[in-house]
This record gives sequence, structure tokens and C-alpha cells, in this order.
Amino acid sequence: MSERTPQSIKEALKVGVSGVRGVVGVSFTPQLAATFAQAFGTFVGPGPVLIARDTRPTGAMIEHAVVAGLQSVGCAPVLTGICPTPTLLMMVPGTGARGGIAITASHNPADWNALKFIGPDGLFLSESRAQELFDVYHQQDFPLVPENEIRRIRTDPYPTEEHFKRILKFVDVRSIRRRRLKVAIDCCNGVGALYSPFLLGTLLGCEVYPVFDTPSGQFEREPEPLPQHLGRLSRTVLEHRCDIGFAQDPDGDRLAIVDDQGQPIGEDLTLALAVWQVLEAHGRGPVCVNVPTSKAVDLIAAKYQCPVVRTRIGEINVAEAMLKHGAVVGGENIGGVMISRIHPCRDSFAGMAVILEMLASRSERVSDLVGSLPRFVIARGKVPIRAEQAPPILRHIRHAHDPARINLLDGLFIDLDHGWVHVRRSNTESVMRVTAEAEGAEQAAALVEHYTRMIREQIRVMT
Amino acid sequence: MSLRLASFGLRGFVGQSLTIRTVMDFAAAYGTFVDGGKLLLARDTRYSSPMLHSAVLSALVSCGCEVVDLGICPTPMLQFAVKPFRAAGGVSITGGHNGMGWNSLTLIGPDGAFIAPVGGETVLDLFHAGDFLRKRSGSIGRVQEVGDLADAYFTSLARHIDVEAIRNAAFTVMIDPLVGAGSPYLKTFAHEFGFNLIAVNDQPSGYLPREAEPRPRSALQMASFIRHVKGQVGFVLNSDMSRMSMVTEAGEPTSEEYTFAVIADYILRRKPGTVVTNSCTTRCIDDLAARHHCRVVKTQVGQAYIHAALEDEGGVIGGEGSGGVMLPAFNRGFDGFLMMALVLEAMAVRNRPLSGLIHDLPQYHIVKRSVTCGSRRGYGAIEHIRGQRDAFAGAVAFDTTDGFRIDWEDGWLHARASDTEQIVRVISESVQREKAEKNADRMVRMIGASL
Repeated sequence: MSERTPQSIKEALKVGVSGVRGVVGVSFTPQLAATFAQAFGTFVGPGPVLIARDTRPTGAMIEHAVVAGLQSVGCAPVLTGICPTPTLLMMVPGTGARGGIAITASHNPADWNALKFIGPDGLFLSESRAQELFDVYHQQDFPLVPENEIRRIRTDPYPTEEHFKRILKFVDVRSIRRRRLKVAIDCCNGVGALYSPFLLGTLLGCEVYPVFDTPSGQFEREPEPLPQHLGRLSRTVLEHRCDIGFAQDPDGDRLAIVDDQGQPIGEDLTLALAVWQVLEAHGRGPVCVNVPTSKAVDLIAAKYQCPVVRTRIGEINVAEAMLKHGAVVGGENIGGVMISRIHPCRDSFAGMAVILEMLASRSERVSDLVGSLPRFVIARGKVPIRAEQAPPILRHIRHAHDPARINLLDGLFIDLDHGWVHVRRSNTESVMRVTAEAEGAEQAAALVEHYTRMIREQIRVMT
Repeated sequence: MSLRLASFGLRGFVGQSLTIRTVMDFAAAYGTFVDGGKLLLARDTRYSSPMLHSAVLSALVSCGCEVVDLGICPTPMLQFAVKPFRAAGGVSITGGHNGMGWNSLTLIGPDGAFIAPVGGETVLDLFHAGDFLRKRSGSIGRVQEVGDLADAYFTSLARHIDVEAIRNAAFTVMIDPLVGAGSPYLKTFAHEFGFNLIAVNDQPSGYLPREAEPRPRSALQMASFIRHVKGQVGFVLNSDMSRMSMVTEAGEPTSEEYTFAVIADYILRRKPGTVVTNSCTTRCIDDLAARHHCRVVKTQVGQAYIHAALEDEGGVIGGEGSGGVMLPAFNRGFDGFLMMALVLEAMAVRNRPLSGLIHDLPQYHIVKRSVTCGSRRGYGAIEHIRGQRDAFAGAVAFDTTDGFRIDWEDGWLHARASDTEQIVRVISESVQREKAEKNADRMVRMIGASL
């Protein structure tokens, strides 16, 4: 983010479809978390509510606040402790809970934290439901219960049992175990540190080389699993001649891959490989992906005669489309693999299992598989903006293009002959994101440069 | 239902006046007041206490306070632990002597006493300003859980008590800790001090099986069967072990006023010194002090004021008629374990049953009444009655330290709006029971009229 962006905007509270997030001690406080928990408890009604957190140092503090908030409106908190977000999502419907709260700022830096709200169906609240929740929050009129209706805290000491059962049922465990693949795993000092070596080693029989596997919340690498942050994982893959390297984010929903040559393949291709394997081995059907997903997914789906449905960015939007269209697989371009039969949520654990199954069933190495895909390159950029600057900027860019090439599902998606450009305001940061895909790194970078320059000029014109 | 913000803490009805938001802000105000220092945290067993515990813990940690979490622990035990832990103070979450549905935060200062009124007012100012210390991720407070506080506490208590005498007397003692914070510690207490324990209401719970305030009425369960189990004395306590009343070996529940009187009589016999009490405690204390040639210092009602006067006047013992006693040489708060141990020691050393110890006291009849009304109207009524001094014929003194007190040669009458409940308390004492009752009834009528 630009040096000129005021600290107060960088660290401001962000309230939106991805929950409530902020910098602890600046915009995010226990009082705020407790009040949001009261609003959520009021919204879902008195009953059990599951709570998970990632390894961030502020997680326990926020958990105490959320517990008190839920109890004060008659909900029964069920603590799953340090637990992956996808695990929590799929636990909710099976346990008869009214909903769930994940305490995690996901890929944001360590000093952030957040609440993400899960409905009784095990999906994040949709935009309209989230809006209702925020209305309840703002009205601040909670039905506080008398002392004798306060429900006790319960704990679930084995939260991943159901999650891993579903994964093992979905993939061909015997063939994976037979191959004894060598796998490096970078847990980012997050929830994966507690569960990934167990899944990969004990359950799937791989030879596991973990890095950053202390669940301390003191992230030893940048929490977003971008290629430039995966140096240690790459070296581990090369040093131990691993078949593949996996990298997770702190709450275990996003997955990045390093190939057998130690090269990060890019989060876009995580989804492409997973879609490929699911369509090949687990049945055909529509594929639902978010708008800026690589065209590589379209080409793979076409090979299996499966249609691709593009949705707005946001896990819940993809999940709802998957349910509506009966998709078998879907996901987001940021390494979010979603498999309906496991649970329609971004799940790095399911992603790892499916890709190991792919390696076990083929003779090619990861680098061969990636090399066989059409070569699209994605480039990204961002420009700091204030929220109110976004609409006029988007309008300005839109008017500069042929309406037939424009998709307004989510920000501005411009379909080009040999790629695409996507311009949108971030839900989680005060920036305008520009993403472009083209058949070459230079072309993609040139597209990003062209559009970020347009945005900067427009900001100058407006101010 | 009322919320009481007093300098020593916050008290209210859970879900109505006492909300977690208020509790978190109040805790954050205290965390800010101690500048993110180390604080002890204790709670009792009321249904709402775990919830408030989570809320307070979270708020203190956000101010950067290192929290030593004592879990279920009586307030006096926390007060004792402040100094050994070199803490900046503590927070005790307890329903105390209030009924079900109530709860409170009590703030303890760095000396282990209730926070001094001046400091408490600063906390209130911070609370109202809403401007709290808020630490970022790297500098939030840590939480340390402590489970073995009882050993150190009872070892220290034993140094102030003639344990040998108690052990040799082999008493059978009934204790009713109101299913509260004292419950888990009774067996250790009995073992360390060598008596045979018969505990009732000692399974920790939020459901109160009797009235919470220690007084004859709440001792009826125990009184009904103490003789059948050959108990030699019975102790009735509140949720956090800070107040106590007693039952004699004959099954007679005694007034909570006798708790302080019996202990003061014993202490002053052995170690004469200044006595501190509030302005509405039995005159028996004044007579005892006179008997032992000791000075009495009177304060406003409240533990914080008793402690402050003990400090200022170098007193040896302080207490209140509501059933709280403090020995500053041992602990800076009203301490149920101390009170029980001292009564047992008095019985053993003087070789007298409890009824005998009470018989040796100057005899007064005390009558307590209460008039239900909102606090503002209560203050107004008392203000009004203060203006009618002429109505009290033969009075030798009027005192307005706290509420309104009239003294006659043979008794006194006191009216005061409670700090902790929505009532005006009327206390009347006289050498004759009829006279005490007559004066109390008259005051209740006057309050009713001016309301």
C-alpha cells in the first residue's frame, strides 16, 4: 500500500461480507467482538454456536469476548479451539448448531484479527444475511438473558474428525498411500501446523517435510501464500527431492503449490489442477469459479464438456452458485479449492488430498502437469483509494470500453481476445485491485500497468 | 433494576443493569488505571460468573495486563495473594451477599485492600470517558493460571492462629459456604486447622439454596440439625467468604452483629489496641473497647473505609455489624476463614462454647428493618428526616457521617440508603427489646411518610 495512505485508513475496521476485521488495539477490540457476538447470537437465536480460532496471539483474548457475548444472549458456546475455518464450516450443520464464528483474519498480517460469521447451513452469511446481522448490531437492542438462562461453555477436543473422514472417503486413499509421495508442507505457523502433517503423513502415508509448523501465530513468512513468500518451501522441496510442496494460509482455507522443481506454480493453478482431477476422477458437472479465475480452468472444463459459471468474488457467492448449479467442483483464483461432496467451502486440506490423488494416479510430475496446461500468466496490481472514489473510477474505465466485453458482476471484468482484466475495490483493504491475464508475463504486466495508470490519473483528476 | 457504580466496584442485575459491555468497559478502565500492570482475577460460582470472567479477562488482556487467573477463589484469598504475586491489584467477580441474578466486580488495590476511594473515583472517570489503553497484538497481556493458592494462604493464616489449641479441642464444626467460592477450600481448611468438618451447601453451584446474606434467617437450615450431628459451632457465609454469621451448639442462630463482637472481645483481651467499625454497628463494640481501655474509630459503612481508618489510626482490628472482620496483620479484607479460625481459637483457648462467648458480651437488642425504594428517593427521605431532629426527645447525639444516627443513653437508631441494594436500612439498638422495636418502627413510619 502507498506510503501516503493515512495509517487510520490502512488500519480501519472493515465490515462486510467477509466479516468484521481490523487491527487489534486500533480498530478491533474485545468490546467490539463481544458486541458483534451478541448481535450474531441475537440473529441466529439461542442455541449452540461453534467457535474456532487460528493461531494468532490475540485469538484467545477475542475468543473470551465472543464467548461472553454469546452467553449474554442465551447461546451455548462450543469451543473447537485452534481449528481450520473449513473444518468449522462443515461442523455446523452436523452438530445442530445455530451457527459458527471463526476468529481469524485469514491471510491478513499477524496484528489483524477478525470475526467471520457462519449460518446454520455451514456457509458464510450471504451478503443480504450479513446485512441483516449488521442491522441487528447497529440497533444494539439485544435480548439479554437472566442469570439462570446463561448456558455453559462446551468444548470439542477433536474438531477435524468429521472433516478428515469426508476427505478420506472422497479420495482414493489406497493409491495415495501406495505411492508414498514425498511432500513438503508450509503451515505458516497457522492451524495447519496442528493438522496438516497428521493428514498428509499419518492418514495419507506421505513422507512429510514440514516447515513453519509451530502453531505460534508468529508468522515466520508473509501469511498470504504468494509465490514470492514461498522461498523456504521451495528450498525444502529441492533439498529433499520432494514430489510437491504445499503452502497454507493461517486459517487453512487457501492453498498454494510448489512443483518438484521448486517453482511456485501460482495460486491460480492450484484451482486448475484440482478441477482437472475432480472432473477426471469424481464425475462431471458445472464448474463454478469467481470472476478473475484463470482461463486455464475454462480450457480444462471444455475438455470434459463441462460448463463454467463465473460468480462474484467471495467464497459465499461461489458456494451458493455451486449449490444452485449442482457443481461438483469450484473455487476461487486465490488457491481456494471447493469440492461439493466434502463441503462447498475453500478447503486447503481437501485440495491437498485431491492433488496427491492426481499425482498418485499418473506418471507425470507436477512440473509436467503444469507444463501441459495452456500458458496463461496473471499479473496483479493495486492502487490505494478511499471507498467513495471507487464508483467514479469504475464508471470512467467502463465508458472507455465496448459494452459487449464488460461484465459487471463484481467490479469491472473486461473480456479481451487473449485474456482479461478485472478491476475491483477490495473487500478487505482500502485499495482498488487490478488483475490481468494474458498469454505472457510482459503482456499481463503491461495490461496491469495500463489500468493502474488510468486509475491514478482519474484519482488525480478527482482531487 | 439498579446499577451501582461505587468507588470500589460495580454491582448490578445481570442482563438488565449489569451487561457484559459495561463490565468490559469497567475492567478496561481498571486495566488502564493500573497502566497494564499485573492483576489477579477471581470469581465465585454464580451462574453469570464464568461469563463475566471471560468478559473481564478479555478486557484486561487488551489493556496489556498480565492476568493471574485464580479461577474459583474467595475474595479474601485474592486479597491475600496480591502482595506475594507483586500484583498491581485484582478483580473479584462475586454476587457476595446479594440474591440470585446479581453480580459485581470488586476492585482490589496493590496493598490487597479494596481500592481506596480516591483511586476508585479515577477508575470511574476513566470508565465514563471510555478512553482505555488498547494494546496491539505483540503487547497484549498474558494469562497465567494458578491452582495452588490455598497452601500458601492457609500456611500464612496458621501463623496468626493458635492451631494447636484448636486441634486439641477436636471440635465438630458445621460450615455453610452458600455453594460459593469457599466451597472447594473447606476440606483443606478443616485438615490444616484440625477440626471435624460437617459441610452443608458445599457443592459449587449458581443456584442459591438459601438467602445469601448471613443472618439468623439464613441459618435456619443449619440451626435445625446442628444438635443432631453434635456440632459445636456453625458458620454461615456468603458467596465470596467476606461475611459470616454463626449458630450456637444449642441450635440457636445468632445475629450477624455478634461475629465482630465475639472476635473483637477475644482479640482485645489478648492484644488491646484501636478498634475500627462503622457508624451503625452494635454499641456492644463501644462497651467492649471501653472494658479493655481501647479506642473506637467510626467510619462510613463499607470495607474500603474500615481499611482506610485501620491504616490511618494503626488499628489492630476492624469490622462491621454485617458480619465482616479484618485483622490487618494478616489480610487487608474481611476474611471468612480468618473469622472462623478466630472464633474456634476463642472457644478453645477460653474453653467456652459459642453461647458462652456471646453471654460474656454486653447485652443489647438489635432490630434491623428495611424500606424498599429507589436510591434517589431514599437519600431524599433521609435528608428530610435529618431536618426533624426535634422529634427525637432525649437524644444525646446526632451523627450524619453516613445516613443519620441518633444516640440515646440506652440505645441508638440509624437510617441509611444502601450502597448495594434498592433499600433504606434501619437499625435500632437498645438495652430493652421493646424500645429497640419501637424506635425502628417509628423510623420506618417516618421514612414512609416522607417518601
